[in-house]
Amino acid sequence: MPAASRFSARHIVFLVVLAAVTLPLIFNLSLTHTVTPETQQVYANIDSLAAGELLLLSFDFEASSLPEVRPLAMALIRHAFSRDLKIMGMSLFAEGTALGEQTIRQVAKEYNKQYGVDWVYLGFRPQRESAILSLGESVSAEFPRDYFGTPTTGMPIFAAADSYAQIATVISIADGDMPSYWIEYAVSPHAVNLQAAVTASMATSFYPYLQSHQLKGLLAGLKGAAEYENLIERKGGGARGLYALSVSQFVIVLVIIAGNVVERVRRRRN
Amino acid sequence: MINRIAVAVAFVVGIFMVAQYFISSEISGRLYNLLLDYYQIIFAVTMIVGGISLVRYHGAQIRRDADSRVYSIVTILAVAFMVVSASIAGTGPTSPYQWAFNNLQAPMQATTFSLLAFFVASAAYRGFRVRSTPALVLALAAVIVLVGRSAFGDMISDKLPELAGWVLNNPSATAKRGILVGIGLGSVATALRVILGIERSYL
Repeated sequence: MPAASRFSARHIVFLVVLAAVTLPLIFNLSLTHTVTPETQQVYANIDSLAAGELLLLSFDFEASSLPEVRPLAMALIRHAFSRDLKIMGMSLFAEGTALGEQTIRQVAKEYNKQYGVDWVYLGFRPQRESAILSLGESVSAEFPRDYFGTPTTGMPIFAAADSYAQIATVISIADGDMPSYWIEYAVSPHAVNLQAAVTASMATSFYPYLQSHQLKGLLAGLKGAAEYENLIERKGGGARGLYALSVSQFVIVLVIIAGNVVERVRRRRN
Repeated sequence: MINRIAVAVAFVVGIFMVAQYFISSEISGRLYNLLLDYYQIIFAVTMIVGGISLVRYHGAQIRRDADSRVYSIVTILAVAFMVVSASIAGTGPTSPYQWAFNNLQAPMQATTFSLLAFFVASAAYRGFRVRSTPALVLALAAVIVLVGRSAFGDMISDKLPELAGWVLNNPSATAKRGILVGIGLGSVATALRVILGIERSYL
């Protein structure tokens, strides 16, 4: 193919993708979709917890994947607070630290949850392996002060739980392979009840762990967020993003077909 | 001599970390926690080394390379701003550090990452050519998962999401499991080589 036509074909693809991503967001396209068993499993796990039980949410992602991961986190936190569960937040990624705090704080305001009693944000810990292992010994020893520098020992939320043994479930909200570290260093030595909420591109990496029950539930990408929003009956960024994502995925399929048709036509001509 | 001491430390610590997994005593627990603390301290020190290395590299770029000088200046200024502002005003929600993170770093990273959608589409157009049977299988699997895992999957057929789930839970998970087992065995072999002093590339 001449350089000029290759250039224009690529730019047509770019324009089509731009339209596919933006138009569903502008026109608020609405599509119905079913809930996958993986999402249903996460919902059922959290729904089965009694009021007052504790969730440890680890915000293990970078700012680059925030648009995909934040709807997952929001839906999970909304479900947890609506069930009167308590939340401890932390991050094993420096970048995820502030984003995690902002996300929990926003939802905590919606549900009038009190800091230190209903939720706490512990902040960032470097060296994921040792941080995950240390939490198994004592959360307050690993985090003597919270994200804001307040001593954690006197907080009411720590009266109920201080190690994995008292934490009902750990959820790693991640854009990479961090849940596998939680599996290696929290599930294997401490039998932690672990679930993961990950970007769609990382989801396939965790199906083997889901099948081996080392992972108790898996939420994947905007589709997972939209499904979860359906289950908690509260639409949010997941549903909005899913429509744009679905159209762009469909466009990519058409682009693959178009690429092959063009290739066939060119071969016949030659 | 120093290398021998390093290998001896790796041996003793490596053997202890394996052994403590099977020992439940107060002394081994304390020692284990102490080592975990040291692990984090060493990591913090490596951050200082990384910072110095970054400044030295970009300092040299500013002197040497006129074309990329401006990028190196921006990098050093950005690092200096984040370090100084965090040191003076902290990293709280209303700090300048947090403002820069929320309003500069996060949008820039999200923007860069979102460009991936365009490159994926372009690569799919040029690269997903069905020229052989394996390529056909790959393309079919990709189309099934792409459509089946979108909201359109249910509209086309209620069997399509199920089929996408089958692809993810069976062929994909099987291949992934094989890779994970290989990685696990490789990790054990590498750890043993380090503990026994055969692998010394870290020195």
